[in-house]
Amino acid sequence: MSARRMTTPRSLSARVIKVALQACAAALSFLILLAGTLTLFGIRAKTALPAIADGAFGGWQYGHLYALSETVVEAVPLILTGLGVLVAWQAGMFSIGGEGQLLIGALSAMTVEHFIGNTPAPLITFLMLVASVVGGALWGGIAGWLRTTRNVQEVISTIMLNYIALYLVGAAVLGPLQEPSHSGPETALLPDPVLFAHILPAAWTGGITARLHTGVIIALIAVPCTAVWMYRTRTGFALRLTGRNADAARTAGFSVDRVRLIAMVVSGALCGLAGSVQLLGVSARLDQQFSPGWGYSAIPVALMGGLTPGGTLVSALFFGALTAGTNSAERTAGVPAVVADVLLAASVMAVVAIRAWRGRAQLASGGD
Amino acid sequence: MTTAPQLGEQLIVPAIITHDITRLFGSTVALDSVNVRIEAGVVHAILGENGAGKSTLMNILAGILRPSRGHLEVFGMRRDFRSPTDARSSSIAMVHQHFTLVPAFTVAENLALDSPAGRKFTPYKPTKASSMAMQTAERLGWSLDPTSTTGSLPVGIQQRIEIVKALATGARIVIFDEPTAVLSTREIDDLFRVFKLLKQSGCTVVLIAHKLAEILAVADDINVLRRGKVVAACKAADTNEKQLASWMVGQTFSTGGYQRPGSEIEAQENSNTPALQLRSVSAAGDRGEQVLDAVSFCVGAGEIFGIGGVDGNGQNELAEVLVGLRQIKAGTITWHGQPFKPGSSPTVGFIPQDRRKDGLATEMSVKDNLLIQAVQKKEFMRGPFLANKKLNEVAANLASKFDIRSAGLSTPVSSLSGGNQQKIVAARALYSEPEFIVAVNPTRGLDIGASRFVHEQLIDASRRGAAIVVLSTDMDEIAALSHRTAVITRGSIQEYEIRGRSAEDIGMLLGGALNPEGSRG
Repeated sequence: MSARRMTTPRSLSARVIKVALQACAAALSFLILLAGTLTLFGIRAKTALPAIADGAFGGWQYGHLYALSETVVEAVPLILTGLGVLVAWQAGMFSIGGEGQLLIGALSAMTVEHFIGNTPAPLITFLMLVASVVGGALWGGIAGWLRTTRNVQEVISTIMLNYIALYLVGAAVLGPLQEPSHSGPETALLPDPVLFAHILPAAWTGGITARLHTGVIIALIAVPCTAVWMYRTRTGFALRLTGRNADAARTAGFSVDRVRLIAMVVSGALCGLAGSVQLLGVSARLDQQFSPGWGYSAIPVALMGGLTPGGTLVSALFFGALTAGTNSAERTAGVPAVVADVLLAASVMAVVAIRAWRGRAQLASGGD
Repeated sequence: MTTAPQLGEQLIVPAIITHDITRLFGSTVALDSVNVRIEAGVVHAILGENGAGKSTLMNILAGILRPSRGHLEVFGMRRDFRSPTDARSSSIAMVHQHFTLVPAFTVAENLALDSPAGRKFTPYKPTKASSMAMQTAERLGWSLDPTSTTGSLPVGIQQRIEIVKALATGARIVIFDEPTAVLSTREIDDLFRVFKLLKQSGCTVVLIAHKLAEILAVADDINVLRRGKVVAACKAADTNEKQLASWMVGQTFSTGGYQRPGSEIEAQENSNTPALQLRSVSAAGDRGEQVLDAVSFCVGAGEIFGIGGVDGNGQNELAEVLVGLRQIKAGTITWHGQPFKPGSSPTVGFIPQDRRKDGLATEMSVKDNLLIQAVQKKEFMRGPFLANKKLNEVAANLASKFDIRSAGLSTPVSSLSGGNQQKIVAARALYSEPEFIVAVNPTRGLDIGASRFVHEQLIDASRRGAAIVVLSTDMDEIAALSHRTAVITRGSIQEYEIRGRSAEDIGMLLGGALNPEGSRG
């Protein structure tokens, strides 16, 4: 026992230093990647990088939090969907279905609002959130059920379910949920009292209304909740064990099928929640272009975050900053906003490549 | 019949010489300075128990594994294979025990896969690409239908396709990994006929096997491996089954110096109803084949029942039945006369055969792996959460009690030696004092110290009153641990006192040359 007490502080500080070093290395290589990508697009990195930084973090030294608000607003859906992805992937379920689950979440929320339009606003908001969680959970559960009972690979089924969800939304916004004038393929705007409040006072943002909304609180609460569930409960333990060695989990008496189903349900619930949070916090209406692909971006976000809740939060904020930064730099410095997507893809390939390379190095060295 | 050198006059250079080949898996020594000389144009058998290192050696010859130390010499040239392709270009091909055929392809398509013609960027015509292989088949006296779907053919025919495919690459040395394991007697005879044809055409056949009679019937030269070392090299003509068997299983049956539990417990327990009772239990394997055939035995509380046998005779399936992971098709299992519900009645501790596959999540920490059983227990829950403090104590206790050496409980299991990994599995299986323990090859790959430790833990558990079934391929282990012993062959179990029998008898029993009654079969 005393030996353990002695080693703990040293190993802890060593771990902190190691993590800090890794973070620095990651940030540095990311900057190089960013500059390289910009150069490939024919943009001078020297002018573009400050413009991107300005769009993501600019103005805070004068008490203007507008840019930071944009960064967080862009990060919110990535945090929730990223958590959804990591839950599934930690259980060894390679779900690509975040996008569909997010859309179904938003659709369920909108449907509930459609039917209970004249209840008190806070209740509507609450029920919309619940509906999105249930809808997303069911959508994820379908893929989980198909895998556990029919052995349909979740990679395939979740992609198919994404399309079904997308076209369901398309049908809904042209049919029962279409706005009253029937002129466009979209729902009516949600009434203001139902929406999340903007939380930054105008004085902090240079007089402009910043988009930062109370939904960010939901996202920030979801992170420790997921962490506790993953690392402090029996189900979370079973989940991680199943993802790493399903045979060992089965041999030890865990029901692997049940664990996989739960993982898909929870993953769907988190992604569905992202849908209603985005609906209530930012877009206020649903159409087929509702999501720019958050459910897909969530995969690189979660992978970059090392499939841990804390890491996913950091990497979601990072990509939020990148998106906000390039969105702004598109206006101010002519940087195409797609650079963010290119980088996201490039960084995940780098992560996967490094992992594969490490794995091969381990194999070749004859270690077991 | 004189042996090898019919063609030896032309082929004086040996086909393969291994120079001090050593292969480590982690800290486990699978091969220890192995020197084997395989003459050209002969059938050369590598003989040994499971785990002796035969397959590792063959995988090195075929370029699938690289040796940790040492090197190969093929037809007089030093070779360093980095991949199976390298081995193939040195005209070595391997016929795997588990075929490398695509079941959905036709015979011709499968044969075209490896043929040189099938690789060019010319229009792909499987019939053309496979024509050479089809000629080879004809030369060997086999008629293969190139249009039939491979997966629908019987195993024996599939093996022929595999052999022809290997030969079509122009191989001069063909390695067979336990080719007879899946074959009927008639098919075996035919295979041996083909071995002789291959020999006559100047090919070298390297054969892994553990059935003594078969080897003596077909091989020219024999090497015996035991625990990663070459213990004998001889001509088949100069040896016999008895000698081979004793080389294979070793000379001594020590009791390992353990003090076995007193016989008074045994007597007392045996007079009562046995704890575990199996009556004519049958079970099917993963592909629906019968793997357990009317198995009956009983185990008393406080008794260790040892079942010896060569791998692949139903041990794994039996273990799975005993821990409730596999359904039985017929028969009954009772626990103290009540229905057998593994997990609750009785509580079960399981040391699986393959710790890396079924026992451990090697990416997870030592602590997590130690706690895989404990987290499932109510006492370690605090509300909906795991009681981390209590669990940490359990993990720390187990680590010190079982002497698990690691750089800390949070290091991943993959960084531990095989022995320490196995200690984790044993610690987990035994810590909660289960009433019933199933251990499959509990000391495979462990050094003497770690083996002894695991054995002592099992004996302690039996003193405590646990009923224990040990399944092992190591007869020393069975002899050292068990109160009663039995032998499993082809899914059926017969009680047989192995202590006091000669090594030759045991070896022949496992090799299928002896009936348990003692008469030659």
